[in-house]
Amino acid sequence: MVNKVTSFFKFKTKRVSLIFCFIALSLLVSGCTGPGYQGWSGFAGHDGILYFGTMDGRVLAINTSARSQGLPFPSEGEWALSVKTPATTGGMCGPIGCVPAAQPATLYATPVVAGNLVYVATYAGDNGKVMAINRLAPGYDKDGIPAWNEGEWFYPRKESKFIGAVVGSPIVVEDMLYIGSSDGKLYALDEKGNEKWAPFETGDKIWTSPAVKDNAVYVSNYERKLFVVSIADGSLLREIEVPSAIASSLVISGESVYFGTFDRLLYAVDIADGSERWKFEGGNWFWATPIVKDGVVYAGCLDHNIYAIDASTGEKLWQFIADAPIASAPVLSDNLLVAASKSGVIYVLESASGDLARTVSIGSEVMAPLYAEENMVYVHARNRCVYAIDMQSGDKSWEFCYSDIK
Amino acid sequence: MAELWNTIILEPVLNSLIALCTMLGDSFGLAIIVLTVVVRLALFPLTVRQTQSTKAMQTLQPKIQELQKKYAKNQQKLQQEMMKLYKEAGINPLGCLWPMLIQLPIWIALYQSIMQALAATPENLLSLSQHLYSWAAVGQAVPLNDQFLWLHLSRPDPNLILAILVGGTMWVQQKMVTPPATDQRQQSMTSMTTMMMPLMFGFFTLSFPSGLALYWVVSNIIGIIIQYFVSGGWGYLRTPSVPKAAPTQAQTPAQKPVPVHKISPTEQPSKTVQKATEESKTLKKASEEKKRGLFGR
Repeated sequence: MVNKVTSFFKFKTKRVSLIFCFIALSLLVSGCTGPGYQGWSGFAGHDGILYFGTMDGRVLAINTSARSQGLPFPSEGEWALSVKTPATTGGMCGPIGCVPAAQPATLYATPVVAGNLVYVATYAGDNGKVMAINRLAPGYDKDGIPAWNEGEWFYPRKESKFIGAVVGSPIVVEDMLYIGSSDGKLYALDEKGNEKWAPFETGDKIWTSPAVKDNAVYVSNYERKLFVVSIADGSLLREIEVPSAIASSLVISGESVYFGTFDRLLYAVDIADGSERWKFEGGNWFWATPIVKDGVVYAGCLDHNIYAIDASTGEKLWQFIADAPIASAPVLSDNLLVAASKSGVIYVLESASGDLARTVSIGSEVMAPLYAEENMVYVHARNRCVYAIDMQSGDKSWEFCYSDIK
Repeated sequence: MAELWNTIILEPVLNSLIALCTMLGDSFGLAIIVLTVVVRLALFPLTVRQTQSTKAMQTLQPKIQELQKKYAKNQQKLQQEMMKLYKEAGINPLGCLWPMLIQLPIWIALYQSIMQALAATPENLLSLSQHLYSWAAVGQAVPLNDQFLWLHLSRPDPNLILAILVGGTMWVQQKMVTPPATDQRQQSMTSMTTMMMPLMFGFFTLSFPSGLALYWVVSNIIGIIIQYFVSGGWGYLRTPSVPKAAPTQAQTPAQKPVPVHKISPTEQPSKTVQKATEESKTLKKASEEKKRGLFGR
């Protein structure tokens, strides 16, 4: 009997030690391995071509007509361009391996098309770059490295120089590009990549998109501040403090700027004097950029709800409960509001009443903003596929997975 | 299961950490330090118990080694004798594991909380939203300011300072509790384990968020302090890895050389009596070691 007990203890001690080792190891491994693919770029459409950043660090141009016909890639106007990983020095090696200095480039920002250029901004650890790519003729040299064409540029120009990592999408107004980055600076660049004025320093991370109205750029940072900057010379016109940091990108409509904050509120602030017009409380963050149309604010919330709020009073008009958080920005087309839940269910709602018209499940997470064009909604899902959904019928018109493209 | 873990353990720790950050003037570095100290203080009785149990087990080591030599060819008898020895000393061989087992979920939660709260990537920040309470102190703190001293807490420390601190403090802590080996083979094993863990963690520090490394350093320092007071000193830190003259019984720091009382040949007790006295001393020592309270020396 004693024997049995002693061998049991011996065995158990070994087993418990093994379990501890296993837990410790899995803990370390889980910390070492990040998600393989990152980013949630939306689409910029032009002449039937969709430009977007992929989750594997490329910029892709896909022809909607060719995709609907199932033609081989690349068809007319289509291309894929790998975003070069920033090569920085300073990698460190230890006794059991090396830590790379640079991270692979990721694209969170939705590209912008202006003329023949597609503007793309990258996120690579702490670093970022802004690139202008000729959308008609992006090229590679004989080694397969992206070759720069006439009119293309990247900012900062020197290969070893960077701005902070970019998460918020750039905007283009009157041939000027405005973009905020993680280094807390707002940049204004012309179509040749030259600075219009010295970058405006906000003092903390900018992870949202700026907005422009009446010769002023509106930009928020993670220090609970909203800045109004002069388009002419980049000087500070006004600074508005909010109780919590701003989570969503800014939307300006009429005389108000609308945004969601990390304390679960959606704000309407007067752009003239910075006073609060109203605030609306949700059950979680208003992360997705809201839409304002015809006096109604449509906002997706991470509390699984889509809210329609009176833009002038802040009163709730209707709410729709989805199956999962709403992280991607919804789109409006005619009288329909289309929103995607994080779990991959696309909801087509009557924008006036919030009644559900139809749902489509794509079976993969969605975080990228939706894009609507001619009765079709385009969805960039986390399984590295693009889906085209017919808003009227609710049918999946086509799907295109870019993971196989070299 | 994951839901239950998040609700009961992860989320309370995570939200406390973030609320603490607001209370400490938006300094997440200070919040990590304070919460690590608070958690370690809350688990203090368990840590002390674990340390005492380990120490008591170590005191029995010479006796166990003796038994191992004696019954090298009879495993059954060896186990019987070992159990008897534990019983006589009033020690449960698993006694040092239970406190560790209870502490483990809290450590894992603290580790996960730091990783989650730092939200190094936009995806991390988005997923953080699903674990936060509606407390005002939490809403105001997010996203956290990751600046602390020279560090960006969500990024690895570009200098070697934190890696050296993590490795150094871990080495000191391990060295304090690892008894010197009695033979060459054991010695190489012991020195390898004592060196490998600090080296590994030092290396991990180069690729992990520095907030996590900060937690490792603070946790190690508190561990060293607890060890210092519970063991009544630097433990085996000042003891050479291999005793100069290999005695039959490993000399622990607790076993300080006692002035020798010379006994005349006529007074010399018989070998059996001498052995019995030694045995009884060892058992008494182990038993005392277990009962000894904090700062008992």
